[in-house]
Amino acid sequence: MASLHYVNRQANFRKKTLRKTTVVTLVLTACLASAAIAQTKQEYRFTVGANANVSISVDTQYGAISVRPGSASQIVVTATLKSDKVEVDRQQNGNRIEIASHLLQGADQQTGQIDYELLIPPDATLNLRSSTGPLSVERLQGDLTLEGADAVVDIRDVNNGHVHVQTMRGPITLTNVRNGHVEIASISGDVHLKAVTGPVVRANSGSGKIFYDGDFGSGGNYKFSTHTGDIEALVPADVSADFSAHSVLGRVQNDFPLQPKQHSRFNFEAGRSFFGTVGKAASEVVLRSFSGRIRLKQR
Amino acid sequence: MTCSEVERILPELLDGAPDGALPGGLEAHVKSCPACSDLVSDLKLIASEARQLAATEEPAPRVWVRIAAQLRAEGLISDPAISVPTISVPTIRDPESAPARPILVPTSSRRRWTSTARWLAPVAAALLVAGSYVVSHKPAPEMAKQPAPAAAVTAQTPVTAPVPVTPAAPVSAPAPQQLAQKSDKPTGAIRPAVEPEPSTEDQQFLSAVSTLAPSTRATYENQLQAVNADIRETQAYVDRNPGDADARQHLMDAYQQKALLYQIALDRIQ
Repeated sequence: MASLHYVNRQANFRKKTLRKTTVVTLVLTACLASAAIAQTKQEYRFTVGANANVSISVDTQYGAISVRPGSASQIVVTATLKSDKVEVDRQQNGNRIEIASHLLQGADQQTGQIDYELLIPPDATLNLRSSTGPLSVERLQGDLTLEGADAVVDIRDVNNGHVHVQTMRGPITLTNVRNGHVEIASISGDVHLKAVTGPVVRANSGSGKIFYDGDFGSGGNYKFSTHTGDIEALVPADVSADFSAHSVLGRVQNDFPLQPKQHSRFNFEAGRSFFGTVGKAASEVVLRSFSGRIRLKQR
Repeated sequence: MTCSEVERILPELLDGAPDGALPGGLEAHVKSCPACSDLVSDLKLIASEARQLAATEEPAPRVWVRIAAQLRAEGLISDPAISVPTISVPTIRDPESAPARPILVPTSSRRRWTSTARWLAPVAAALLVAGSYVVSHKPAPEMAKQPAPAAAVTAQTPVTAPVPVTPAAPVSAPAPQQLAQKSDKPTGAIRPAVEPEPSTEDQQFLSAVSTLAPSTRATYENQLQAVNADIRETQAYVDRNPGDADARQHLMDAYQQKALLYQIALDRIQ
């Protein structure tokens, strides 16, 4: 008898649970559906001359921009609008294409958001700007300029182009960027450079940290500087570079046996500076901080 | 007279009238229109500060050429012959001696700046120039860095020859007594305990960002405070170690950071 009562209670419990689950599922579905209705996806296609100098700019106050390589003669822009308080302005002048988010009355960070996905010719010149980001670019070969206040910036597998990035506090990551002229500036964002080489690689951050993981290539000029942020370079033992590091008020640390140079533009200060060469000194590496710590570590 | 007509002719009128006097019709409109009144105030301020800059020492012509090239490259200005002017860039040179002055133009509807934002671009450029001026004109008795002698540098010697801070260089060096308070750390970081009054440009910056959402505004305020603290700290160090080329470069970098902050704010506000 007791066991029958127990079975009944179990059955009731399961029914109630099932009912609750159904209600929750319906509510969630309704929410998702309404969100999907509010969100609009638009696609634009632009035809450009193959092998032409194509220039593309995307400017949005709020939202993500993601760019990947596509056809050499066509640009495909997919814009996801989060509400009807924002619209896409677009303009093509020959091989120059401008895309911009246009905020309407009453738009805010949520309703004014547009996320862009672009497929572009791999060697196109690209200008991206978004206050919130994130901004991501991959597998391109043209010149890139990315700007964003708080935007997280991620650039990977890029060759040959100039790469210019500016943020206020958004962190910046470059991975596998080869033979590029790289210039990065951030006020307080961290900068991560992994396998980044080129004739000129410069990174400056005020209070952000700079991490470099790579071999400094051959024949490049690398300069990393911060005000209060730390600088850390992780390099292989067979690196070939002429190092010069100085922190005005911070400490420095070096894992490498450096060959001393005859002359240096600053006097050696134990614990605050080091300089010298490793290998054939193919690249020049300058590390500077006002009060941050500088570390050159062997991988 | 409409606001757009005022915007079109105002820069030339102000340049032509050193005392900033306006014709009667224009004056009446400006008095009745808060937006135009703000615009006139902004332009007068920029023009007067530009003249004061000129009065101290004018940077080399190549500095202006570079700034113009940079603004042109970014599409912020174009030649007057090919575009409709809205507001002229304040130049330090005598207007009569400048043959073809660059003019800011809107490149699209998004580029129509609000009156509070208009001052930011020239101020950012002026800031960079001022930073460059301050760094490059500091006396540098020796280029190789000397090991800092001395606790005595701050403890006994007040900061000599304060930097000639121009109106466009909004961050002033800390007072000698503030440095002296830190005399136990002769070459160390010096952050004045008391935050100085914001400069005119900073006040305008804060006023401009006050239109943004509270959290965004707080972010910009904090960033400005941090950058100013960096400038003050580095300036104090350079004052005590004028031969330290690296420190001077850090000071220049700090000014560039501030210019970058202004630029990012401009992008946000427009």
